[in-house]
Amino acid sequence: MTGSSSPRTGGVLDLRDDALASCVACGLCLPHCPTYRVTGDERRSPRGRIALMRAVDEGATAPDAEWLEAMDTCILCRGCETACPSAVPFGELMSDTRAAVTRTRQVPLRLRVGLAVLVRPRLLRGLSRILALLQRLHLLPGRLPLPGRLPMRDPRQKGRVGGEVVLFTGCVMDAWQPEVHAAVEEVLEACGATVSRSGDAAGCCGALHAHAGLEGAARSLAERVMAAIPEQVPVLVDSAGCGATLRGYGSLVGTPEAAAFSARVQDVHEWLAADIDRMPAATVGKRSTVIVQDPCHLRHAQGCHGSVRTVLAPYADTVELDDEGLCCGAGGAFSVLQPELASEVRLRKTASIRRAMATTGAEAVVSANPGCAIHLAAAGHVVRHPLEVVAERIRGKQGGAHGR
Amino acid sequence: MWWTRRRSTDPLTRDLEAAIGADSVEGGASARLLYSRDGSIIRGGKAGVVCLPGSTEQVAACVRIARAHGRAFVPRGAGTGLTGGAVPCDDPVVIATTRMDRILEVDVDRRIAWVEPGVVNLDLTSHLAGTGLHFAPDPSSQQACSIGGNVANNSGGPHCLLYGVTSVHVTAVEVVLPDGEVVVLGEEEGDAVGYDLRGAFVGGEGTLGIATRIAVRLTPDPPEVRTLLLDFTTIEEAAETVSAVIAAGIVPAALELMDQQVVQAVEPFADAGYPLDAAAVLIVELDGLPAGAAREAESVAAVARECGARTVRIAEDEEERARIWKGRKGAFGAIANIKPSYYLHDTVIPRTRLAEVVTGVNAIAERHGLIVMNVFHAGDGNLHPLLVFDHREPGVMDHVFAAGEEIVRLSLEVGGVLSGEHGIGLEKRRFMPLLFSPEDLAAQRALRDAFDPDGVANPHKVLPSGASCGDVQDLPEIPEGVWV
Repeated sequence: MTGSSSPRTGGVLDLRDDALASCVACGLCLPHCPTYRVTGDERRSPRGRIALMRAVDEGATAPDAEWLEAMDTCILCRGCETACPSAVPFGELMSDTRAAVTRTRQVPLRLRVGLAVLVRPRLLRGLSRILALLQRLHLLPGRLPLPGRLPMRDPRQKGRVGGEVVLFTGCVMDAWQPEVHAAVEEVLEACGATVSRSGDAAGCCGALHAHAGLEGAARSLAERVMAAIPEQVPVLVDSAGCGATLRGYGSLVGTPEAAAFSARVQDVHEWLAADIDRMPAATVGKRSTVIVQDPCHLRHAQGCHGSVRTVLAPYADTVELDDEGLCCGAGGAFSVLQPELASEVRLRKTASIRRAMATTGAEAVVSANPGCAIHLAAAGHVVRHPLEVVAERIRGKQGGAHGR
Repeated sequence: MWWTRRRSTDPLTRDLEAAIGADSVEGGASARLLYSRDGSIIRGGKAGVVCLPGSTEQVAACVRIARAHGRAFVPRGAGTGLTGGAVPCDDPVVIATTRMDRILEVDVDRRIAWVEPGVVNLDLTSHLAGTGLHFAPDPSSQQACSIGGNVANNSGGPHCLLYGVTSVHVTAVEVVLPDGEVVVLGEEEGDAVGYDLRGAFVGGEGTLGIATRIAVRLTPDPPEVRTLLLDFTTIEEAAETVSAVIAAGIVPAALELMDQQVVQAVEPFADAGYPLDAAAVLIVELDGLPAGAAREAESVAAVARECGARTVRIAEDEEERARIWKGRKGAFGAIANIKPSYYLHDTVIPRTRLAEVVTGVNAIAERHGLIVMNVFHAGDGNLHPLLVFDHREPGVMDHVFAAGEEIVRLSLEVGGVLSGEHGIGLEKRRFMPLLFSPEDLAAQRALRDAFDPDGVANPHKVLPSGASCGDVQDLPEIPEGVWV
């Protein structure tokens, strides 16, 4: 997956040699791995998974069902990378391993169908409207990983061209949570920026394709996104998962152009925090207290979770969770593909949220990633995007909360 | 997943599954591979079947079933040990206690907590936030290692200089003995009547049974903490400072040394602002009442300057202090920034000989063409010289083991001992006769036999034996990484 030119092992998985050698098996990653935390099983840990990759790569072990399950149960949260003193590029190793696996094993049918829909915006919106109707009629099981209230109307807003910044609108978020994009756009405009939307031409970022090991598909989606956003302006992202993916195009595609594109990508909070003084004063509503949930792809992959607090500070009080950024279990399609494990991981997060609620009285959780928001809302929490909270304070706008 | 799980045909596995549930018994190739290793350099271990029990009764059942099938058993915590203590030999049943991770009871008034063995060391202290208490033993791996593992190895850590090692902080242990019987050793409070079997059990490295519930003493948080970072242009000056501080009558809470290579390896991870050009840094932590800690900090700074310290930095807030410690505690894990593998010893030497022994260790490494990195508990003379190498280089292992042995011999010659806190495991048992006479070893063997007459509990560990299982001398495959 990576564009790095350092030597590869030439083994079964053909991983980058230095990446594989950089794990000294110290085990400091163990408590920071959500799947190890809930299973206590080495096969569900970063250290264990790396040792298993090495064993298969060297031909010492066969990639049997047990081995595949060890790889399939990784959420790719990259919490282990933050914890690792040797900076093992675990995300790269796992992505490369999945890519190698996908060359010989087909991706599960339901995932293939899902991914095919994601890259077809009109189909996605059409199906979403059918789901929205079924939801209104209470014909959908409540435990489906869907927002609490899917939009009925075509959520698209007219795209402006030639803005000072481009808002990346993606796939699912555009169809399911258009109110988040609207709030983000409102905040950006209130700061005096003109905003263009990436829209259908850019479409899906390919994060879930990359997670599934569909390297070729991820790469062509990256090409499509880059071609649709030729402007040399900041590309702002309000979904942590998409942001991390866009920032990885440089290594995924491996061209100087892709690296330059990735360098233009910023999480929207990061962009706002860089010049916080231009954010307007809160004029309406009351200062509330919100619990901050850090999406892994903001905290571990992009390392800019601090910006969410900076941006919220003028408008709301923030409460930290006591779990050191352990993953909530959403992980893109993970909650669909590994529902039992995802629920167990979520139990730790909801326990931490409840402790924060009990000690501070806060009720709402903010999350800068749609997958986490939907996953936590399905457990009964009120979850909002941080910029929805901001938008409400600058114009009294009522954004849509998920859940309950 | 139930639909992918085949019913086992192996009678041992079938009995274990019947006793503790199929989801807690793993016999696949991947499980057996991973549970054949710990955090050490040792390869060649061979796990039979892996059990992840959830209660004392399940642990006892695993022990009894293993015995009924004529198999030994190996207890395991988080697998962060460094001497192969959890590396299984000859297909034993591996009993990992990671799923027994409940904090059962915290009695703030009596300063006692009952925990299960799989509780992560740092999780207990985090859980105690707001009570003004903490669990004092703080091995560098404390964010990952389990309290059960700490009990097995009688683990130390930087702050054990003042507060004492794990044994001081364990008042009672519920143990599944090697015959499957469950007993409680020690008393929650006060000394147990009769022989101190708790004292014998702590540090037993799993050869005397498996701890299933542990009563730990909780330590009040100090009212004031001062953390100093001292830097030196020679490692000898840093070592002299260590002796001079103790000679001045000050016992710091922690007194740690890191040499230049270690500092350079961890700085990118810790972002602590360590001086990268210093030959060595000392981390000195003083705690107590505010006036006392401040006065001691001044005394340490004065002593250090006299010994040649270039700068004295005092952490201004908790964040700065945390970063200074983050680097120290991540030191072993950061070694891959230099080379992909390491091998270390854990000898303890008289503090007054530190400068001389560190110089000697560096000379040994140089003779063998190896890089050595020093990071250790200087205050109690507990060395951790890391021999850093790339196992892919042909012939390098011979030098690593030869240099390791020379370091051990040098440490013992100056009046040191074999291990400060990592235990003996498989890796150091061959050095035991260098430290103990045959009579001493026979006495230790007699103690072990009293607990485990049939030799089924973590066999081949601690005491020298004829078996060659997983011995570092006879590694059947090339070792990979290792850490403390």
